[in-house]
Amino acid sequence: MKLLVCIKQVMESGSEIIIDDSRHGLTYSNVTRFEINKYDEYAIEEAILIKEKFGNVHIDAITVGPSRSGDALRRALGIGADEAIHILDETKGYRPPITTASWIAEVAKDRNYDLILTGIMSDDEMNGQTGPMIAQILNRPCAGTIIKEEISSDGKTITIEREIEGGAKDVFQIDLPCVLAVQTGINSPRYPSLSKVMRAKKKTFDLILAESLKKPGQQPKLHALGFPQKMSHGIVLEGSPQEKAVQLLDILVSKSLA
Amino acid sequence: MTENIAIITAHDGKNISTSTWELYAFAKKLKVHTTADICFFLVGEDTRKLAEEINSRTGCPAIAADVPNTGNYHGEIYKKTLAHLLAEHSNDYILAPHSISGMDYAPALSIILNGSCITGVEDIKAEGDVLYFVRAMFNGKLQADMQSQGVSNSSPLILTLQPGAFKPLQPNKKLSPKIIHGRFDFSEDRMRYQGKLPSPSQGSNLAKAEVIVSGGRGIEEQENYQFIEMLATIFPRAATGASRPICDYGWAPYKKQVGATGTIVSPKLYIACGISGSTQHLQGIRDSRFIVVINKDPTAPIFQVADVCIVEDLIKFIPILVEESQKRKTPKGN
Ligand SMILES: Cc1cc2nc3c(=O)[nH]c(=O)nc-3n(C[C@H](O)[C@H](O)[C@H](O)COP(=O)(O)OP(=O)(O)OC[C@H]3O[C@@H](n4cnc5c(N)ncnc54)[C@H](O)[C@@H]3O)c2cc1C
Repeated sequence: MKLLVCIKQVMESGSEIIIDDSRHGLTYSNVTRFEINKYDEYAIEEAILIKEKFGNVHIDAITVGPSRSGDALRRALGIGADEAIHILDETKGYRPPITTASWIAEVAKDRNYDLILTGIMSDDEMNGQTGPMIAQILNRPCAGTIIKEEISSDGKTITIEREIEGGAKDVFQIDLPCVLAVQTGINSPRYPSLSKVMRAKKKTFDLILAESLKKPGQQPKLHALGFPQKMSHGIVLEGSPQEKAVQLLDILVSKSLA
Repeated sequence: MTENIAIITAHDGKNISTSTWELYAFAKKLKVHTTADICFFLVGEDTRKLAEEINSRTGCPAIAADVPNTGNYHGEIYKKTLAHLLAEHSNDYILAPHSISGMDYAPALSIILNGSCITGVEDIKAEGDVLYFVRAMFNGKLQADMQSQGVSNSSPLILTLQPGAFKPLQPNKKLSPKIIHGRFDFSEDRMRYQGKLPSPSQGSNLAKAEVIVSGGRGIEEQENYQFIEMLATIFPRAATGASRPICDYGWAPYKKQVGATGTIVSPKLYIACGISGSTQHLQGIRDSRFIVVINKDPTAPIFQVADVCIVEDLIKFIPILVEESQKRKTPKGN
C-alpha cells in the first residue's frame, strides 16, 4: 500500500506576526521558528499507525514551499515517513490553495497512492481547501474532519468516522484510492525517534521545482494583509493582579454573577 | 440572462438553518455591488416544502432537487448534484456556509465549475469596482482582503461564509411560491453511508450550566487544569469546560469541549482562561450573557468578544482571584 501525507510548514504557534511592506506576506526574523502544521502532524501519525498495522506500507511525505520547509519534511522522516517529496517554491507572496493542490495532484497522479492524507486546514491561512481540491482534481472520493479510520483487510475500502457540528460522527465506507482530511484528536502524534532522525539527516528529497509544474488558471489573489480592528466592547482591567481580582469580583457582584 | 448569486441552502430536512439566513444577509450586501439576482439552491431527500418556504419568504427563485441518500451530508452525491444544478444556471457567485459540509464541497465545486474559491469569508469591502472578501488568518490574529479577478458565469467565485459573521436576515413575505423542483438519482457507489454515532457531548451538563469556567491550551500542562477547577469553586454552581486541544490531549474528557464540534453553551457567565478565541470556539459561546477573559496575550482574538478583559498569566492570577474571593466570604475580624 502506498500513502501520501501532505504537510505544510507554518510559523510556530504564538510567534509574533509582522506584516511585510508589500502587505502580501509576513516578515520573519532570525528568531522566527517554524513547525509542522498541527493538523498535519495527526495525518503523519495516522499514516504511521497504518504502516504499523499492515506492515507492507510505504509513506511519502510531500510539501510545497521554500527551502526552509525542507525542515518539515525532515521531521516527517524523523517521525516515520519513508521518503520525502519537496515541491520547491521560492516565490514570495501568497500561494492560493488551488496552486498547492494542483501541484500536489500533478505529482501524485502517476504515483498510484492508495490513500492521500492531509490536515483539515492549516493553522496559518486556515483555508481548508487543499485536501478536497486534490481529491477533485484526481477524481477521487474525499472526506474531511476524519477522527477515525480503518482500512479493510483486503485493502480495497476504508471505513471512516467524520465529525460533524455538535460532535456526532457520520460513518462512511469509502473505496480506495481516496483522499482524507484529518481532524485533531484522531491519535496522539509521537515525537521523532533518534534513530530515524539520524537516518533522515542523510536522506535526499525528491526535489521538484515549482516552475516545472502547471499553474492553475483561475486563482484568488491576496490584496492586502492587516490586523483586525479592535472591536472589543469590554472593560480592560488595569493595575496589579490583586487590584484586577478585586475589580473583577466587584463587577461580578454588581451583575449578580457572584 | 441575468446572472445569479447562488445560495446553497443549509437545512436539516425539516427546517432552514440559521446559516442560510446569514448567507442571505451576505448575498444582499454582495448584490449592492453587482447586477446579479439572488437565487436559492436546495439538495435533500424531500425539498419541496423547504423550497416553497424560502421562495415565499424571500421572493427569490428556489431551485430544489430531491436526491435519495442525502438525509445526512454525503460528499459525493452532494458535489455531483450541486455541480449539475449549478451548471444549468448562470452563476457569478456561489455562496455556501463555512460549515463542515461546506468546507468539503465548496473547494471541489470550484474545480468542477472552473471557478475559484475563497473560504471563511467574514465581510465584503468595495473600492470602486473592485470587491474584496475579508477573511481571518492565524486564528483571527490577521485579516486578509482577498480578491478574485474575472468573476463570470463561466468562472464563478465560490465563497464560504464564516458562521456568525453576518446577522441572519429572515424575511417574512408571504408570496405564492414559484419553485423549480426536480428529482435526481446520483447514487454514488464510491462512498457509502453507514450510520451516525452520538456526540460525546450528548447529555453534557455544559448546555444548561449558568456559570462555566473553561481552560485552553494556555494551561500548558494537564495538572494545571486544577486552576480551572479551583476558579470554578468560587461560584455556588459552576461547570468546567475546555477548548478542543485540551480534550484532544486527553487533559479533559470530550464532554467538556465547548465549541462548534462540542457543546454550544449559553451561560450567564463564561470565563475563558488561556483560550485564544478561534472561530470554532467562539461559535460555541456566542450566546453567553457575560464573558470574562483571562489571557496573557493582549492581542488574543477572544478579547474581541469579552465584557471584561484581564491580561494576566492564568497560573499566577487564578490563585490570587480565588484568595480575594475567599477573603470576602470569611467574615472580617476573624
Ligand atoms: C472543523 C473544526 C472544528 C473545531 N471545533 C472546535 C471546538 O468545538 N472547540 C474548540 O475549542 N476548538 C475547535 N477547533 C479548534 C480551533 O480551531 C482551535 O485550534 C482551538 O480552539 C484552539 O484552542 P485554544 O484557544 O485552547 O489554543 P490556542 O489557540 O493555542 O490558544 C492558547 C491561548 O492561551 C494563551 N496563553 C498561553 N499561556 C497562557 C497563560 N499562562 N496564561 C494565560 N493565557 C495563556 C495564549 O495567549 C493563547 O491565546 C476546531 C477546529 C476545526 C478545524
